[in-house]
Amino acid sequence: MTEQKKNSKDLFVFAEGRRPAGGETPGRVRSFAGNVLARLKKDTAAAAAFWILIVLILMAVFAPDLSPYTYRQQMLAEDYVNMPPRIRGLTWIPLFNGHATLKDRQLSSLSDTAKYPEGCVIRTFNERTVRGVPVADAEIDYYLYKGAGEDVNFWFGTDALGRDIWTRAWRGTRISLLIAFAAVLLDILIGTAWGAVCGWYGGKTDLILMRICEVVRAIPNVVICTLMIMLMGNGVGTMILALACRNWVSTAQLVRAQFLRYREREYVLAAQVMGASDARIMVRHILPNAAGPIISRAVMAVPGVIFTEAFLSYIGLGIAAPEPSLGNLLAEAQGVIGLYPTQTLFPALIVSLMMIAFHLLAGGLRDALDTRTY
Amino acid sequence: MSRYVLKRLGLMVLTLFVIMTLCFFVIRLMPGSPFDDPENSPELETLLEEKHHLNESIPVQYYYFWRDIIADGYWGVSLKIEPNVPVWQVLANRIPVTLVLNLLSIVLAIPFGILAGALSARTAGRLPDRVIGILTVVCISVPSFVFASALQYQLGYKGAFDIIYNSTGTPAEQLRSLILPILALSFWPIATICRYLRGELLDNLNTDYMLLAKAKGLTPVQSLERHAMRNSMVPLVNVIVPLITGVLGGSLVVEKIFAVPGVGGIMTQAVSSRDLWLVMAVLVFYSVINLVTVFLMDIAYGLIDPRIRLAGRKGGAA
Repeated sequence: MTEQKKNSKDLFVFAEGRRPAGGETPGRVRSFAGNVLARLKKDTAAAAAFWILIVLILMAVFAPDLSPYTYRQQMLAEDYVNMPPRIRGLTWIPLFNGHATLKDRQLSSLSDTAKYPEGCVIRTFNERTVRGVPVADAEIDYYLYKGAGEDVNFWFGTDALGRDIWTRAWRGTRISLLIAFAAVLLDILIGTAWGAVCGWYGGKTDLILMRICEVVRAIPNVVICTLMIMLMGNGVGTMILALACRNWVSTAQLVRAQFLRYREREYVLAAQVMGASDARIMVRHILPNAAGPIISRAVMAVPGVIFTEAFLSYIGLGIAAPEPSLGNLLAEAQGVIGLYPTQTLFPALIVSLMMIAFHLLAGGLRDALDTRTY
Repeated sequence: MSRYVLKRLGLMVLTLFVIMTLCFFVIRLMPGSPFDDPENSPELETLLEEKHHLNESIPVQYYYFWRDIIADGYWGVSLKIEPNVPVWQVLANRIPVTLVLNLLSIVLAIPFGILAGALSARTAGRLPDRVIGILTVVCISVPSFVFASALQYQLGYKGAFDIIYNSTGTPAEQLRSLILPILALSFWPIATICRYLRGELLDNLNTDYMLLAKAKGLTPVQSLERHAMRNSMVPLVNVIVPLITGVLGGSLVVEKIFAVPGVGGIMTQAVSSRDLWLVMAVLVFYSVINLVTVFLMDIAYGLIDPRIRLAGRKGGAA
């Protein structure tokens, strides 16, 4: 059998007169992937989302290690606590000028250079008298106030423990992305195998396996994740397993539907006649048909996983301190949002940008992979 | 129909049984004892474990667990957070708050989502559609807790609304302090409904019966609301289940941000302090909400689409 299969090319000859003239197909033949990529490039939103994601991923990979600070380094000795963001060269942007507003200061103390170094008070406003003492709010150069030199710049500021938010935010992004990619990969692997077996074998196997899917699907995500975390403790590995634990069901259903659609096709019969094994038919002949939907589902699943990871870490069930994740960064910043809104702003921007980009890319991919629309 | 309902109901109970069994074993196999506290003497620890039957073998405990629930309706007491208070009593004040928050977010989202979706489909490809399209992507992508933080900072701290939940005020004041959390939670369902409805409407607008409606002299708005809308509403049932589970997840965080005394807050506490039966009750609460939603949607589907409720009779897969 195997020998026959090896030589099967020689066993088949073109029927009389059916050989394509010249033996070449006219025009340029583009692969399936090439086609999809070409369509994706035309979709401006998806292309933009793709490049935004590349930038975010590069930042997540390199920014934490290139930063002069580490993610757990507490600059308490220098008293660099709750510093506002400052980026050298961008100080003309109000957000990055390193200024902060101190409220209700005695006017007389503001001119005391021992407390407020020369030139650190930018302006005073809201001047009023409280119990006969003149007070005002003052916008001050916080870096000068803390005695930090020109070379000290916290691009996103620091938190209540004097840790650099730039480093922590990108490290958190790295962990969120790592968990998301690993969880989705696991989800796709389990789901594809499960769905393929269901769709190909059908009958009792299908019935039992799909009933299991239905039960798993009925358990809310919150419940599954909580159970996994209680069983295994919190950490990156747990999060990956917990997040893949329920999502694979949707993949299985999708793959099963594809298998049901294609298993009666003539080319499958042909492969069977030629003695191909079940596994070979499933992987080589039917699975490629399901590749499109699986890819677009995978990308579509990423933002959902990022969201779940973020909210679990936010409520304290996900990634635990001191390891940052976008969720627990936001949770820490939430307590001081009234005083230091920038601590919330940057992690929130990153997570939002990431989710928007993944959604746009997923939408674009879905359209590009859907041959019916072209 | 009643046969179909019974079948779905049976499946729901069975699923709940599986979930509770799973929860029980995870909770009991979880390392560490709830009374493992340096302040407790070993004797006290043993006594406490004996009192709550935690020293028995797991199968025996499993038997006690079901016997108590079925025979006495006894779900256990809280061990740590409110010691010796029955778990459902601990949750009694919290469940209504969580339900009001979640249900209002979804119920309020439905009309806005439908309006936006209809407007978007009517003006497909033109400016309003494009603006709604961008807003939809933003609202679907940005997590509800980011919206919550932004609203709290922009509206709460500027004095227009309460910063956190007002638990001591009159019911009206309490409801008022829920405005921001509800708003934060409802962006996502609005956008999801809008996107879904737009797709459905666009499919329906190109059908022959819409051409007929136009031919017999209906205005576009009339034909939209009398013909296209009705057919597009049916598949909307599809999105309600994921909407409810999604909003429930988001509300865990939003409750924390606005200090709403709901179920979410106590869940984290219960998990981290190993308050076993309280964890069980919270997980059962979330599962039941999910199961009931799925059940109701199945029934709604059966009512709408006869193919589904009749499928079981022929012995086919229902």
